[in-house]
Amino acid sequence: MRALPGPEPGDPDCGSAIRLLLWIWRDQWGSQLSGASWGVAWMLSLALIPAAIGRAIDRGIVGRSSTGLVIWAGAVIALSLSVAFTGAMRHRSALTNFLAAAYLAIRITVRHAVKVGADLPALTSSGDVVAISSTDTEAIGSTFDITARGTGALAAVTVVALIMLNMSVALGSVVLVGVPVMMGLTALLLRPLHRRQDRYRTMQGTLSGQTIDIAQGIRVLRGIGGEDAFAARYADRSQQLRSLGLRTGRIESLLAAQEVLLPGLLTVMVTWLAARLALHGSISAGQLVAFYGYASFLALPLATFGEAADAFTRGHVAARRIVAVLRLRSALTDPEHPAAMPPAGAALTDAGSGLAAAPGQFLAVACASTEDADRLAARLARYTDDSAPHPGPDPEPDPEPDPEPDPALGPALAAVPLRSLPLAALRQRVLLVRNGDWVFPGTLRDCLRGVTEAGDEHLLAALRAVSAQDILDGLPDGLDAPVAEQGRNFSGGQLQRLRLARALLADPEIMIAVEPTSAVDAHTEARIAGQLGTYRQGRTTVVFTTSPLVLHRADLVAYVTGGMVAATGPHARLLSAEPGYRALVTRGAPTANDPTEDDTGVDGTGVDGTGVDGTIAVAEVSA
Amino acid sequence: MRPGLLPIADHATVKAYALQVARRHRRMLAAVMGLSSLATVAGLAGPRLLGTIVQDVQHGTTDGRIDLLTGLLVLAICVQAVLSRYSYLAGKAFGETVLAELRESFVGSVLDLPLSRIEQAGSGDLISRASRDVNALRQAAQQGIPAVLGAGSSALLTFGALVLVSPPLAAVTLITMPPLLVTVRWYLRYARDGYLATNATYSAMLENLAATVDGAAAIEALRLGRQRVTLSDTDISRSWRAELRTLRLRLRLFPVTESCLLAPAGLMLLCGGYGYTRGWVSIAQVTAATLYVQQLATPVSTLLDWLDTIQTGAASLARLVGVAGIPPDRAVTGAAPDETNRRLAAERVGFAYDGGREVLRDVDLIVTPGEHLAVVGPSGAGKSTLGRLLAGISAPGRGRVSVGGAPLVELPLSDLRGEVALVTQEHHVFAGTLRENVALARPDADDEEILAALAAVDAAGWAAALPDGLGTRLGSGATELSAPQAQQLALARLVLADPRILVLDEATSLLDPRAARHLERSLSAVMRGRTVISIAHRLHTAHGADRVAVLEDGQVTELGSHHELIEADGAYARLWDSWHGEQPSPAAVPD
Repeated sequence: MRALPGPEPGDPDCGSAIRLLLWIWRDQWGSQLSGASWGVAWMLSLALIPAAIGRAIDRGIVGRSSTGLVIWAGAVIALSLSVAFTGAMRHRSALTNFLAAAYLAIRITVRHAVKVGADLPALTSSGDVVAISSTDTEAIGSTFDITARGTGALAAVTVVALIMLNMSVALGSVVLVGVPVMMGLTALLLRPLHRRQDRYRTMQGTLSGQTIDIAQGIRVLRGIGGEDAFAARYADRSQQLRSLGLRTGRIESLLAAQEVLLPGLLTVMVTWLAARLALHGSISAGQLVAFYGYASFLALPLATFGEAADAFTRGHVAARRIVAVLRLRSALTDPEHPAAMPPAGAALTDAGSGLAAAPGQFLAVACASTEDADRLAARLARYTDDSAPHPGPDPEPDPEPDPEPDPALGPALAAVPLRSLPLAALRQRVLLVRNGDWVFPGTLRDCLRGVTEAGDEHLLAALRAVSAQDILDGLPDGLDAPVAEQGRNFSGGQLQRLRLARALLADPEIMIAVEPTSAVDAHTEARIAGQLGTYRQGRTTVVFTTSPLVLHRADLVAYVTGGMVAATGPHARLLSAEPGYRALVTRGAPTANDPTEDDTGVDGTGVDGTGVDGTIAVAEVSA
Repeated sequence: MRPGLLPIADHATVKAYALQVARRHRRMLAAVMGLSSLATVAGLAGPRLLGTIVQDVQHGTTDGRIDLLTGLLVLAICVQAVLSRYSYLAGKAFGETVLAELRESFVGSVLDLPLSRIEQAGSGDLISRASRDVNALRQAAQQGIPAVLGAGSSALLTFGALVLVSPPLAAVTLITMPPLLVTVRWYLRYARDGYLATNATYSAMLENLAATVDGAAAIEALRLGRQRVTLSDTDISRSWRAELRTLRLRLRLFPVTESCLLAPAGLMLLCGGYGYTRGWVSIAQVTAATLYVQQLATPVSTLLDWLDTIQTGAASLARLVGVAGIPPDRAVTGAAPDETNRRLAAERVGFAYDGGREVLRDVDLIVTPGEHLAVVGPSGAGKSTLGRLLAGISAPGRGRVSVGGAPLVELPLSDLRGEVALVTQEHHVFAGTLRENVALARPDADDEEILAALAAVDAAGWAAALPDGLGTRLGSGATELSAPQAQQLALARLVLADPRILVLDEATSLLDPRAARHLERSLSAVMRGRTVISIAHRLHTAHGADRVAVLEDGQVTELGSHHELIEADGAYARLWDSWHGEQPSPAAVPD
């Protein structure tokens, strides 16, 4: 038996659903064949039991031969043991095939999801992808599982029909005609049944979504006393689901009746014909019993055919959904002829807005509108291409950082447009930190470390830099503490600091952060602002913020209105010189109009370099 | 298991619950049992009639006699088919009803749970019970119970028919019982853990996968792609190992059960044949007995198939029923607030989470009607806990919180929410329509009132722009609201709830500061005319308040107006300075 998940899968054929299924089949054709062989052996053993019983009755009982009785009764027992053994082997093969196909479907989906990257949530919802990996991969698995039993059923029906035809053309014809007719009749019911079952499942999903809602929203409900309203609404939906279940049950019950009726009538038909033949001496009593046995047995392969038809239909639908995901493409593409990456210590500039971060600078950007901050940050890190049109790859990147790039150009690293740089290499140099960024479950250590090999002392240093020792102190397991899904076991402020620590540890040449301290208290924010510059010394840090605590600590502040840089300078100077800036960063505080407050700010610039924690001097950059 | 998880009901409680359900629905249950028994009886006619046909053919008979017997066979099958249908319907009705009752009572008990208990357990525990366990039970209740009831009665009746045909031949079938029972018992002992482990590997796989999709931006930024792929492969190989474990169990179970169910037909022929040659039994008896033994295999294997599911269902039931066993932390005593003096008072209040360190110690606070009190302090000082106690959401461990002299945890919920409501930084949007989301606060509100509430918080514009207005479905998979919109929604609920006292816990803190500023307009509309306690880490809220309480390490260390506290030059003054970007004095930045 092969060990799963097996070697790295190749590129799937996503030409169509059928081609994807064939591609999966090629991956496991060997074990498909062995599954089918066991399936045939198993089903034939079952099919031959009535024949052996018939012989035992004829030879052993009617013929009163004790040897005949022992031989044929022994044959029944031997066939039973064969069913037991081949059935187990068939199950083993079929399960392997099921899992191999399901796992393969998950693996190609995950690989593709990662390849699409940051754009993925915009292209599809996680619910869709999760549905693919739960229900759709299961459907694909079932398609490859049913083949073993399906092949067996086909072989068994053929053999039984041949035996009967050999005995009597009439009997054989009843089976040959009866089986397809019964399958057709069953299929008639299956379609409306599946429709209702799908509706039931959808509604069931909505209802379980509501149950999960409670777990997540219970605090909100408590706060406003919405418990009773919620419970009433839930009960209402629950009862709707119940009555839909009952309506679905009506079709299912018809199917249950049909399962008794159709094979039963076939059995009766066969028995009646056989009894008449037996009465006139054409067949023996034992053969009559055997025919009854065959006819009863046929219910099993028939059910298997139904199951197989169902599995193939669902498998095809599932494959179509997977193909749709595999065809998703990110809007951000690598250039056809990528430019060479500029050497380390490059300036990041955006001619469109006038933003420029010099190498090693701690630049704070105060945007008058949230949208501007988000868009500018995404543009600077190339998470969007919404800037000026692409001028074509630059064959010769300028080794000297150009302080004034052509305004027609978009964001650039050392004057090389970001769009002409290989994306993977760019991601390595420029890291964007946003508040929505996911925190992955695992230990705190894994969460912080990411792809780096940072040791515990580095992790602790980064946690200190973001003033997060209190988080660590609150965790009995320290760095081994678990981080729940979406970091739910941490508060908003704690998560923000963990995200920042994670980014600091990744240690990119250029780090761009959007409102990285909006959810922490003033005390903590002041400490983080003070320590950030020290930690990032020598590397470029761009922080989009309107918090005076952070702006005050930056080497340089760019004030952005209407998507364009309106003024640059140290925080204190902008406070006094730019009324718009002052209104933006000291919102609501009456002291903003208090001249002494501003004076203090201006005076502050002079002592900036001598801050308690030794932040870097501002003078060289702002001068 | 992690301590602090929600309890799991013990065996006796689950049994009592199951019995109670059975008693409550004894009519339905009787219908299921009765109909499926009748269906089985009809099905038992087949082998009996065939035995007779074989014997008659043997002794020579007429075509007419065979036609008659065959006609009876057709009749039996038709009756069996009709009865099967109604027995299925009865089973379905029973399963659906029990399931609906169970999930509704589960939701009811979750809604009554003390909040601190939920938080201690973590929402993951609750979510897994609400989704995985309810689903596991669904299968057991909808299909398992009817199948087991039907198959059980069918097995018993078939065996009964066998006894009627010939008691000694019936005894033959019992030979394979001991090995069958021993193997099944062995299997069940290990199967449950095996399947639970398998399911756990799948949920882990799905969780990681969802995170890979939702966290795509972070994965690209931090170049975690390779890691996520490896993680997914690790999850798969875990799942594979778990599957192999249960496969090995089944590979031992199946051969034994199959042999024990099929081989008796051969044994029956041997014994019957011997008995026939001795003249003890007729050929009709041997034939019928052999066919009954074959027929017995179907219900018995159905029973075996469902044992797993029923067992898993029982485990899930224990987890759902367990939630109901947690005592509530509030009890209505009939205490009513003094109409003339509706002040909110916390007296010597202490609180600790599940035996841990006290997060609040001897807090005394009195808030007079119409006052605006701000509570500030560093993270972890106990501000949110205090907010909850003041809103009557949790009961204080020591001391008491009362409004107009009546303890909050002794007021009926409906009265409590007229007195005080709490809005936090969590702005959860419930799956449902916009109308349902707002009306949670007051289910009887009409559309006009709901629209007015939305307008009051400045949300009328975007609400009107939604595709179906108030009927627009919100939440994941439907229209997603932005964070500020979600927070406005939370405020609109407040307007509708119309409490006298409002507790705002960092209500705008998770939002971008500029969005927050916009929201503050909405907020001030809500605050007008009410007593307000606002908890904040941003100090501009504090400045506008009548009084400020500074909470440090679970105690109120300063209390007074903004100006008084600035003059006192204590912790608040230092916070205020640092917020204003003044050079923080070393004392304010302890490391």
